[in-house]
Amino acid sequence: MIRKLRGAGGYAFLTIWTLFSLFPLYFMAVSATNTSQAVLSSRLLPGLELFNNAAKLFAAQNVGAAMLSSFAIAVGTTILALIVTSIAGYAFEVYHSRGKDVLMGVLLLAMMIPFAATMIPLFQMFAKIGMVNSLFAVIIPAISTPLLILLFRQSTRSFPSELVEAARMDGLGELAIFARIYVPTMRATFAAAGVITFLTAWNNFLWPRVILIKNDVQTMPMLISNLSAGYVTDYGVLMLAVLFASLPTMIVFFVLQRQFANGITGAIK
Amino acid sequence: MKRITKIAVSAVALAMPVALVLSGCSSDGGNGGGGDNGDDNTLTVWAWDPNFNIYAMKEAEKIYQKDHPDFKLDIVETPWDDLQTKLTTLAQSQSFGELPDIFLTQNNAFQKNVINYPDLFSGLGDSGIDFSEFPKAVADYSTVDGVNYGVPFDSGTAIGAYRTDVLAEAGYTVADFTDITWDDFLTKAKDVLAKTGKPLLSGQAGSSDMIMMMLQSAGASLFDNDGNPTIADNAALEQAISTYTELVKSGVFVEVNSWDEYIGTFVNGSVAGTINGVWIVGSIQSAADQSGNWAVTNLPKLDGVPGATNYSANGGSSWAVSSNANVELAEDFLKSTFAGSTELYDTILPKAGAVANWIPAGGSSVYAQPSDFFGGQAIFADVVKFGASVPSNNTGVYYYEARDAVSAAITKIIGGADPKDALAEAQSTVEFAMG
Repeated sequence: MIRKLRGAGGYAFLTIWTLFSLFPLYFMAVSATNTSQAVLSSRLLPGLELFNNAAKLFAAQNVGAAMLSSFAIAVGTTILALIVTSIAGYAFEVYHSRGKDVLMGVLLLAMMIPFAATMIPLFQMFAKIGMVNSLFAVIIPAISTPLLILLFRQSTRSFPSELVEAARMDGLGELAIFARIYVPTMRATFAAAGVITFLTAWNNFLWPRVILIKNDVQTMPMLISNLSAGYVTDYGVLMLAVLFASLPTMIVFFVLQRQFANGITGAIK
Repeated sequence: MKRITKIAVSAVALAMPVALVLSGCSSDGGNGGGGDNGDDNTLTVWAWDPNFNIYAMKEAEKIYQKDHPDFKLDIVETPWDDLQTKLTTLAQSQSFGELPDIFLTQNNAFQKNVINYPDLFSGLGDSGIDFSEFPKAVADYSTVDGVNYGVPFDSGTAIGAYRTDVLAEAGYTVADFTDITWDDFLTKAKDVLAKTGKPLLSGQAGSSDMIMMMLQSAGASLFDNDGNPTIADNAALEQAISTYTELVKSGVFVEVNSWDEYIGTFVNGSVAGTINGVWIVGSIQSAADQSGNWAVTNLPKLDGVPGATNYSANGGSSWAVSSNANVELAEDFLKSTFAGSTELYDTILPKAGAVANWIPAGGSSVYAQPSDFFGGQAIFADVVKFGASVPSNNTGVYYYEARDAVSAAITKIIGGADPKDALAEAQSTVEFAMG
């Protein structure tokens, strides 16, 4: 009986908590269908302004191009980052060399340098090689992060080394071992790393804002920033843009949710 | 094995469009933002509001095109905060090649940028622009060591805007709030609050906008003429802060947490007025259901402060010509439009509410046109008149730091700290920042 009550209390707590967490999302969706004045008056019911807001948004901003740029950056970064950091994390764990722990320590230390400190030299480098306004300039600095290398290294600890040895005896090359045995086994880790990278790349704001100068290479976060920069902000339109910008990240997260949870906890199939 | 093939196929499928987009964009990568685009008739411009300054630029482009048919503008929408980040990055990395020809700069931040990063700007001393045709207080924002670096664009002239229907409910008209002192204002506003339940003012907690407007209305600043901070022992500042504290404590001024909430207070009708730069009328007018119920007048003035007036300013911006510009073309363009075309101002005022700083435009009949939203008042003619009486304000390099320090002090004072102590602390914070 007590256990039942406790269970019910737990559910009630979780339900309330869920409502709290979902409210901003609900408000965002509802506000996208309301006028600016209604949003400011905190109207919580859906309105009839969705098409009006959409018309205004598409008239004011090139949403298609921004979505495409953001998508290109996020997907490009995710694919490259997964390749680079999984190989690095695998190598750090499977191969043995004297300096590897020192090297890992240096990598982790690099996590502590804030981006603002490296932005100006980075800009100088990209300006020198003529890559201002290039989406590659956004992708390249993001493809190797100490966090992902650490994530892959930690998960590789639970990857059975007997598998590698058996494969070597069967005459499989090192690259083939990585591609045919390691990658399929570590699916969950790849999913988790993929979600993290995609979200970070999609939401990245400061660096793209600085390095992408022209109008035709805007990303979604830059577009949202534009919408709220004027003297008069149309909050309905703004919320619709925010909704558009959040959809891809939501989809990616929901599709990979289960693997994400497994990957973070280090489970192996 | 099959699964790997599947993964590989989907990866390639995803990568294909990405590669296409990337290669498309990189082909013109490194072309820079500025005057190095190889086209002698195109100017690149950074500005931030499509309904306001970008709109004005596009109209200026049309006017200039009449005499220069090949002329073109490439306007890049960049919010001010991001624009400042870009300027800082370009200056510190010495990548001046990426600068546009013309960029808009907030008046409050103009001197700071010229003094810290002189290499970003081209002086407009030889441009032939007659800066005496702008109010001195406005041109001063973009003047450093006697050299003009900016063509003033929008006016930040401060207005008091009030709901006439709410005032009437309490037995007042807007005339009762014209040419008054802050003491009068407090008495009347408390009465309005008691009778209608509506406060007359609102603002962002921890923002110093209101204090700065009060200060400038008395021609006072946070710095003396040599650029030394004068936050402690500043009679005008103390009077402004005690007025502000009184406004907040009496409930006449509602403090909210964010800019969006501030706009919300008068758009949703819970607050019956506001005091800010004239650009705020755009937001006021977004409350279509309140049309006809608003009026605009001047500000209350500080009691017992020498030189106090009913006029002030908040915000406003000016066009700067970069060091990477096609200087001749940029100067001629600005001279023929923002500093020389009544036609331009006649177009942008009614559409965008952009009140001119260029004095010759003020006499235009467009300014005398009544506004239905403001009960038939010709608000812009009034605002131009207010603008001519705004006292100059000394900004300087550390103006933003000083404003932030004062904001922090206000928060403490509202929370009960001793004003003298809080301001002395603000003074030492600014002195520390100045090194």
